Amino acid sequence: MSTVTRDGLTARLFGVEFLDELRAIVREPTSLLFSIVMPIGMFVLFVSLFGKGNSEFGGPVGTQMVATFGTFGVLAVALLNPGTSVAADRNRGWLRAKQVSGVPVGVTLAAKVASALPYALGLLIAMTVAARLTGALTAPPVKLLAIAGILLLGALPFALLGLAVGFVASPNATAAVLNAVLLPSAVFSGLWMPLEIMPEFVRDLAPFLPTYHLARLAMTPLYGGEVFVHVLVLLGTTAVTATLAAVAYRRGKP
Amino acid sequence: MNSNENSQALRVRGASHSYGANLALDGVDLDVATGECVALLGPNGAGKTTLVNLAIGLLPRQHGEILLAGGDPRRATTRRRLGVVQQTLGFPTTLKVGEIVAGAAIRAGCSKNVAGPVLAELELTELAGRRAAKLSGGQRQRVQLAMALVADPALLVLDEPTVGLDVPARRRFWDLLARRRARGTGVLVTTHLIEESAAVADRVVVLDHGRVLATGTPGALVGRLPDRTVTARTSLGRERLVLLPGVVSVDRDGEHVRLTTRSPETLLRVLLAEDPGLSELRVEGAGLEEAVLALTSGAEVAA
Repeated sequence: MSTVTRDGLTARLFGVEFLDELRAIVREPTSLLFSIVMPIGMFVLFVSLFGKGNSEFGGPVGTQMVATFGTFGVLAVALLNPGTSVAADRNRGWLRAKQVSGVPVGVTLAAKVASALPYALGLLIAMTVAARLTGALTAPPVKLLAIAGILLLGALPFALLGLAVGFVASPNATAAVLNAVLLPSAVFSGLWMPLEIMPEFVRDLAPFLPTYHLARLAMTPLYGGEVFVHVLVLLGTTAVTATLAAVAYRRGKP
Repeated sequence: MNSNENSQALRVRGASHSYGANLALDGVDLDVATGECVALLGPNGAGKTTLVNLAIGLLPRQHGEILLAGGDPRRATTRRRLGVVQQTLGFPTTLKVGEIVAGAAIRAGCSKNVAGPVLAELELTELAGRRAAKLSGGQRQRVQLAMALVADPALLVLDEPTVGLDVPARRRFWDLLARRRARGTGVLVTTHLIEESAAVADRVVVLDHGRVLATGTPGALVGRLPDRTVTARTSLGRERLVLLPGVVSVDRDGEHVRLTTRSPETLLRVLLAEDPGLSELRVEGAGLEEAVLALTSGAEVAA
């Protein structure tokens, strides 16, 4: 038996968990159909139809949509993938097997979240290319990178929410519950259509949703504006969803 | 810690555990020495699952002492000396057999290279590239055993390990475990296949209502039961058989009868007198299954 340091072992454990998650996604890509193909398909449709119109913040709407639709796409991956994956592992007894084998649950969960990030990044790249091809993208690469960084970091509280549901619900119920959270959040946060064309009650409701604050934060590299409040709301959301995930983990059956 | 504790794969002293107001375990002692096979028997709800979950570190200890290979089973480093075969484990369907076993080796702190010999030992080498989704029940069970054995564990915990295996596969399974036990691996097995556990276990622990009712070798437990079984081919009807002296129970299948009695000599004398055509007569001691049933039903059993 080889001897490894504790940090080295943790890195190896993360590596094997991460690799298993990637294999699952690559070998069964149909699991990503809803969380990747649908956001990209919707984006292509919307940016083709409305992308060249004028944004209220300046420039073409298509550029703004990279941030707002990008928020929806990253949310779909971050919310659904780790949550349904942990629910499936619980359901088949695989999570229990890993716990018994001495893998810290934090390592397993970190690998589930991290393995979703390359796909979220791929989704953002696909949207950027689509916006560029339709001539609706005016932002320089550095601003697009900043948007990607904000969205990938800002997805954490939503990934934690997905895990919280996955710890207590069956795989099918997890997907249903998380979609029931995702789709209304997208509509009421203006991720699909600009809030400016939505009814007044939707505009009033939006600031109470963390998804709205993530989208607004993702728009700051393009248009500037408030940062502190959005960051504060997202940090608060992270604290709440992390607590929910911890409670769900303790109450759920491994 | 003394040397005796060091030589034990599992040591449980005075373990009690409650779920709210429900006392699931009440002061249980359990030992599994290195190389020893102990069968944990008892009816549903006896506390077996709670005791096993405490032993493998899935439940926090409430009262008592639990040492797995001399360490706290709640610590990840201790659990890496543990192998578990669950009754219901589904592998991620996207993973291949070789990846599953190599992953188990890495999770136990070993090199992934140790997977090869274990795959060979369990005749899984040819299946190393096959996806878990395409395995038969018996193959899945062998993969799970390979995961459990890959890090050469101090304690192997088996939950209904041979359910779904045919007779040759069961024999290979227990032969393999015998070789591992000879190398020092302790085995704790929970099963409803009582007679199978009688054949393979060094000791049996009978648990009911959260307490240890009896512990000893299978032979010793059976020896504590006064019942004997008389089987024969007879023309006597059931109505007559139940009235014979000393008969406790009667099972009839055509002309073949199986009588349970505590005074076989008296019964045999009456049987032979009443049915001159009696044939295929056989008298046996009761089995472990009868002994466990007697213990858990509160029947009279010698101390």
